[in-house]
Amino acid sequence: MQPNRPLFIWTAIFALSLFNTFFSQGFQVNFQGQKQQGMGCAGSALMQDASALFYNPGAACFASASEVNVASTPIFANVMYVDSSTQEVFRTKNPVGTPFAAYALIQSKKSHRLACGISITTPFGSTVQYEEAWIGRFAITRLAMKVFHIQPTVSFKVTDNIGVGAGFVWSPGEVELEKDLPVQFNDGTFGHAKISGTARGFGYNAGVFYNSGGFLSAGLSYRSGINMAVKTGTVEFQVPGGLEANFPNGSLTSSLPLPSVVTLGLNVKPCKNWNAVLDVNYVGWKTYDTLSFDYATNTSSLLDTKSARRYKSILAFRAGLQFAAISDESGPKLIGRIGGGFGFSPVQSGHVTPETPDADRWYGTAGLSYVFSQHFSLDASLYATKLQRADTNYETGLSGTFTTIAFCPGFGVNYKW
Amino acid sequence: MRQVYFLIVFVMLVACKPKAPENVYTAGEADFSSFTAIGDGHTGGYMDDALYRDGQENSLGTLLQRQLTLVGASDVSVPWMETGNIGVNWNGQARLLLGYKTDCLNNTSLSPLRLSPQGELSSLSTSAYNPSSKFSNFGVPGLRTIDLVSFLLGNLNFVNYNPFFARLSKDQFNFPGSGSFSTYQENVFDGGYPSFCSIYLGIEDVLPFAKSGATSNPMSPVAGLPGIGFEESLGQLCQQLHAQNVKAVIATIPNVSEWPFFNTIPYNGLKLDEDKAASLNQIYNPLGFSFVVGDNPFMIADPNAGMFGVRPALPGEKILLSAPLDSVRCYQMGSVFPFRNEFVLTLDELNEIQTRIDQFNAIIRQKAVAYGFALVEAQNFYNKLPSGFAYNGVTLSAKFVSGGVFSLDGIHLNPRGNALLANEFIKSINHSFKSNIPLINALMFNAVLFP
Repeated sequence: MQPNRPLFIWTAIFALSLFNTFFSQGFQVNFQGQKQQGMGCAGSALMQDASALFYNPGAACFASASEVNVASTPIFANVMYVDSSTQEVFRTKNPVGTPFAAYALIQSKKSHRLACGISITTPFGSTVQYEEAWIGRFAITRLAMKVFHIQPTVSFKVTDNIGVGAGFVWSPGEVELEKDLPVQFNDGTFGHAKISGTARGFGYNAGVFYNSGGFLSAGLSYRSGINMAVKTGTVEFQVPGGLEANFPNGSLTSSLPLPSVVTLGLNVKPCKNWNAVLDVNYVGWKTYDTLSFDYATNTSSLLDTKSARRYKSILAFRAGLQFAAISDESGPKLIGRIGGGFGFSPVQSGHVTPETPDADRWYGTAGLSYVFSQHFSLDASLYATKLQRADTNYETGLSGTFTTIAFCPGFGVNYKW
Repeated sequence: MRQVYFLIVFVMLVACKPKAPENVYTAGEADFSSFTAIGDGHTGGYMDDALYRDGQENSLGTLLQRQLTLVGASDVSVPWMETGNIGVNWNGQARLLLGYKTDCLNNTSLSPLRLSPQGELSSLSTSAYNPSSKFSNFGVPGLRTIDLVSFLLGNLNFVNYNPFFARLSKDQFNFPGSGSFSTYQENVFDGGYPSFCSIYLGIEDVLPFAKSGATSNPMSPVAGLPGIGFEESLGQLCQQLHAQNVKAVIATIPNVSEWPFFNTIPYNGLKLDEDKAASLNQIYNPLGFSFVVGDNPFMIADPNAGMFGVRPALPGEKILLSAPLDSVRCYQMGSVFPFRNEFVLTLDELNEIQTRIDQFNAIIRQKAVAYGFALVEAQNFYNKLPSGFAYNGVTLSAKFVSGGVFSLDGIHLNPRGNALLANEFIKSINHSFKSNIPLINALMFNAVLFP
């Protein structure tokens, strides 16, 4: 197989679709490396490839070679909502999401202590589209949120065992939010509102990595929170002519805070060919307290909104095993992985919304890598979860149970030189 | 390898949908096979100040019965109006709809207007009675509890004649003197008793009085024989149902004075600039009333108020939506010329109405307990409306037009409001008869339509 074929497929998938969540706490998307995804999304303490630029910049300087790494993880997620009072069932018709991650890591020729890299990842995002005329249509019909993190990074080996690294994160994003309005045209159809805008934010990612050179390695990383500011969003209304003055199209401002993530990771190598990894995340979701929209033109029907989210900061635990099944003189050829994790939901009771029907969750993962040559290798991973949350939202009165099933098969390609 | 990959993806696409729970709807201890809705226009689908086809389609009785078909009720049978949806009210007028109206100050705004100059008069002289298909919705606009056993209701020559009853009565518009007249109740029980009834009566025993500004249409007395007093009129119906083993759900009477008809014009809606305040002060200062720039209480007629029978409205007093608004805007009604009694409910009058409603409700609750009927505190539902509440992402309230619950007459619920009230009936039935009947998604039903 030629290296450019999967690359082409990946590009095509990316071009065709958006990415979404439903398989991670809040609207976090924890798919930034196929090898980590195979091991329960853990691996900030195990230096394997250029994805260290994201997971732990401090580990990137331990790379054995320069490397380019691209991967994508299509998300097949289905949400079912069972309304508690009508007992009616509604579903999402989400497009397939494709979070992706692309890395380039360059080892300095002059100093083997220094590595530089750049990454493009999608650690936050959500696309959810509910079926026509669903019961929560006046809360939301569709949300599409994309956040890209573009992160140039420098990593430096302080000693043979300790690396530090830091990257600057430029975070452009896009958001579209649609819902029906409870005003009716003469034929009974409902009004509709669409809010869209681009957002910008800045942050950083820093990490420390310790490698004993044998049995143990450990990592600590911190990705800062980022405030995604929507400075010139637009709002478009479809309302009956008699109400157009009440719902003026125009601009708005808003912002969406992305939480900070602290990760403490551990990797042990109990025997040849085996690795066991554990990551503990602390995600600072408390920053997402309110979702507000500030319309440039207010009327008696169109007031600025402040909608309580009241997320709480949470812990997530991720663990996995890696086993080199086939090796030759140059190193492992076929590597198998298995893992899983548990994450608390940042969404508190009374605040579950259809745009993020989140719940505490267990998930399982598995993965494979095959090394074709000293230059070229392929990774695959699979993530599966099912979660359920019953709630009555304080603000909207929506009362029911969300059930989500998500399968996320990922595929990646690495080229080293 | 790639084929395998895509195969996996394909399998997941097909296989990863959450399974829907299997709903089991049960009738519990009740038998809904022959359902009948007993009530007034609030049960029959009167809305937008008329009885019309779409209103009937979305009436309390119809929506409730449609939901009961999930647990064995037969489909609705209604004395339908014509499909043109023009509708007709007591005065022969067509229904209201929202349209553009230019007032005396030449301001154009959205306002309830009559759909056409004349209502669907033919429906009031054509019988809808069909001997082979008994009606299941006996919601008759204007029906009072004390009318249940009246022989005059279908007789054109009597003051209590109700054309909405006459058109569904088995008498089929007997000419005066040419036959006997049957009562409402005889019609309901004609050909056998139902297995289950909804009873929503009593509003019309107080509402016409309230709508008249407490000037005419006296409220039904509490005491008296069936046909005269509320208690015995309702009692004989309940007793008869009970004797025939008919199960029922019965609702209390809401506080009608909380409805938009009584709350859209604020008591202090008299906005004055400096000139107008000065000229009113000139008129009224000698009587001891003064006016300020900004919001002032309207002036109302009150025979008990001093020598001139005029005073400013007090907080809590109601100016009715029947008040001629152009006269207020351009001809100084409510200021130089006080609102006549018929456009106002004073605190004393409100108190009188509330007392009577409380008495009636005590009787309704007592009958529900005595006869094992499910009880709907309709009052509790309506009481949530003035402050508004969130329902599946929509804030619903008692606000006129925009509140989303009341129709354009400010008195009767719109389809969405009826669905919400039907849900209260269903909750009560589920609770009392241990049934599992799902509630209605009320947002599927229309509120006010906008041009």
